[in-house]
Amino acid sequence: MTRGAATVLLLALLAGPAAAQDGVTVPSAGRDALGQPIPALAPEHHDAFAHGRSLFRQAWLITPSAEQPELDGLGPVFNRLSCVACHVKNGRGAPPDGENDVMRTTLVRLSAPDGTPHPAYGEQLNPDSIPGVPGEGKATLVWTPVPVTLDDGTVVELRRPTLRFRDLAFGPLGDGVLTSVRMAPPVHGLGLLDAVPESVILEAADPGDHDGDGISGRPNRIHDVASGQTLIGRFGLKANQTTLRQQIAGAFLGDIGITSPLFPGENCTGVQTACAAAANRGEPELTAAQLDAITLYSAALAVPARRTAPGAEEGEALFTAIGCAACHRPTLTTGPYPALPELAGRTIHPFTDLLLHDMGPDLADGRPDGLAGGSDWRTPPLWGLGLAGVAGDGAFYLHDGRARTVAEAILWHGGEAAASRARFGALPAAARDTLLAFLRTL
Amino acid sequence: MPVPFRRRVLATTLTFLAGAGALWLAGPSPARALEDQVVVVTSYPEEMTGRYEQAFERANPGVDLRIVWKHARDAQTLLTTPGHGGADVYWTPSLGSFPALRDAGVFRPLAVDRAALPGRIGAEVISDPQSTYEAFEVAGYGIVTNPAALAARGLTPPAGWQDLAQPRFAGLVSLPIASQVGFSPALYESLLQDAGWDAGWAMIGEIAGNARPITSGGQVADSVQTGAAVAGLTIDFFARSAIANGQPVAFAYPPRTAFVPAQVAITAQAPHPDAARAFVDFVLSAEGQSLLFHPDVRRLPVRPDVYAAAPAGQVNPFAHNGDFAYDIPLGLARTALVVALFDRVVTERLADTAALWQAIHAAEAAPDPTPERAALIARARALAGWVPVPAGDAADPALPALFASRRTDPDADARAKALEATWNEQLTATRAEALALIRQAAP
Repeated sequence: MTRGAATVLLLALLAGPAAAQDGVTVPSAGRDALGQPIPALAPEHHDAFAHGRSLFRQAWLITPSAEQPELDGLGPVFNRLSCVACHVKNGRGAPPDGENDVMRTTLVRLSAPDGTPHPAYGEQLNPDSIPGVPGEGKATLVWTPVPVTLDDGTVVELRRPTLRFRDLAFGPLGDGVLTSVRMAPPVHGLGLLDAVPESVILEAADPGDHDGDGISGRPNRIHDVASGQTLIGRFGLKANQTTLRQQIAGAFLGDIGITSPLFPGENCTGVQTACAAAANRGEPELTAAQLDAITLYSAALAVPARRTAPGAEEGEALFTAIGCAACHRPTLTTGPYPALPELAGRTIHPFTDLLLHDMGPDLADGRPDGLAGGSDWRTPPLWGLGLAGVAGDGAFYLHDGRARTVAEAILWHGGEAAASRARFGALPAAARDTLLAFLRTL
Repeated sequence: MPVPFRRRVLATTLTFLAGAGALWLAGPSPARALEDQVVVVTSYPEEMTGRYEQAFERANPGVDLRIVWKHARDAQTLLTTPGHGGADVYWTPSLGSFPALRDAGVFRPLAVDRAALPGRIGAEVISDPQSTYEAFEVAGYGIVTNPAALAARGLTPPAGWQDLAQPRFAGLVSLPIASQVGFSPALYESLLQDAGWDAGWAMIGEIAGNARPITSGGQVADSVQTGAAVAGLTIDFFARSAIANGQPVAFAYPPRTAFVPAQVAITAQAPHPDAARAFVDFVLSAEGQSLLFHPDVRRLPVRPDVYAAAPAGQVNPFAHNGDFAYDIPLGLARTALVVALFDRVVTERLADTAALWQAIHAAEAAPDPTPERAALIARARALAGWVPVPAGDAADPALPALFASRRTDPDADARAKALEATWNEQLTATRAEALALIRQAAP
């Protein structure tokens, strides 16, 4: 698409009656609800948004490509060919269905027992590869039923995943290897989270639980590649990336094998000789301009506006009353955001504090990540939660997709959230339904 | 990936069996273990390949479907290397690639059950008559509209291609540029085949007088969805998928239109012939064909039997097209010529074309023209729709062949450029004459 055509298209999008008053949410609730630009997107950013969208959807090509050399550099090992392959319609992924299925929109992080990258497989299992290079192997999940009885006698059957590997190309992973299953999260509203000042995030931090409420949110602190500083991590399921740009560059390398100005080295380990010998472009495959465009696209993806439902207000009050809002912080404010000033100074309702919390042994992956411990997870935003699965292919929740409903997800909460989970389980059925109805309006 | 010894032996044995002849492929698949992977070269989008990957692998546990994503020219380079670059299957919407690769000996015989897969739509042959590649899906051309935008302007929807040339649609028609939008050369070729060379170009030119140029396939539907245009010429799946995803557009096939196939084939030296055959069997099965109905895919199956379970509003191409049969070989032979002409006649003259046709339409709308003025206007119309290649030259294989070879033959390219320069001079003069006639016709 030409820049002019992109501008015409986006101007028309923004001129429509659907533009919301707050500038960053859209009233869409259909299959494409998570793919809309913020209504406030300035005309000078329309071309970059359209360019970024095409890069997000692009299947990356094996080097060399005569037809599109600007889009080659795939792998040599990788998980998927494109961003949209995992973030289907910009939404969340799905875990494998069982032993005969494999991970497509889910991945496995790896490290040696001492926390360093696995010597043979690196930081992430890459099942796929370009021809002539072995893929690293396959991972799947086997599910075990876990019945849970609520206070009123209702039985909810949860399912616990067990990670299995097969066809490992470089031998067994070894004793004590640390693994973490990560389902692709949705990607809307990320620019707004990127624009939240560290000071706002730290307002809610209480590492020592000095207020005695049982909640002790802690920031992860991560090396920021671009600035060389240590910054609060806010992206990734363990808050292991500092900025949206770094998160995207990390995903390009880890998931697609595309190098970038932030991560210029190919993702081959020392034993992966075919990987190291494979042709590559010899420069960052994702240019700075391409990285900027796809970052802007991701930053400018709008948040679905809240819908209404009977009892939603009551459900929201219950949500707060049983303690969910202590971590799923309803409101944050954004600060200056030079890369996309349209996001600055906004009051937003992401229902996250962007902090790490101990979620207990049931959800633990046992794999530390920066300052995040083996049972720590960053509070995931809940905006858009009610549209999970709206594209009709099922909806799964939590870091590994084990929960098939929001209720299941709540019932897996432990650690700092154990008390809230217990209160949820003690609610009368009608009150539980009211709370869940509220969550569906997000 | 290392292959266990037992599997290596089995794979070697099966490769030998497969190489023994096409009869084995033609028969029902015997119950035997498949190889542990199949390498599929494609340019289908992720929304489609991901679904087939998941469904195929679930149906064939232990077989890893490996996608090698290639545009047509890159794929041709890969598949014509020794061993086809390790590829087992070529599965892609690239109309011209399959016959070229067949002629280069890239494919092995591929028998199918003609009772389930007719390989043709009416008189239009969509699979290889030599049975080396098979149609996998078809996509049809039609008009996407924005009902709300039409209503806001008091416009009735266009019923066919010719309606898009009407003055009421001035500036409101999204027109894919033939040299930049992959599906559009065959679209324009289908108009030429249906209306005839001269009348077809005249119609294309007049529609161009109403056009907003589009340079990316999906943007036709997008531009209509936003109301930037009220109608657009498109291939169906972009519009039908947008509708299935809740976008406020409508889509209609003209009474006679082209349905063009995408195809699938197994390479002659496929390293995983059994898994390759399993994959092809799967995509051509009722289950595989039904995946085409998914809202994010919305392409048309080539198995007539699956239309019984089609989503609401689904057209059945096997029951649609009357007596119009798109001639695929003719279209492929003329693609480069049509694209070159389109750029000279349309793309490079959009503003002038719009001004000229607006002047003609205004003159035609003037009340009570004298016979003299009517004759001038008619002459101007004829000149505005004129194309600098006579129908006879287009039908002579030499001219299309010249343009088809220009990419690889510098001499042919030079001769083509010289012809294009001549066309430009002729078009400039003809359009100027048409404009002068319209001015003369002013009351």
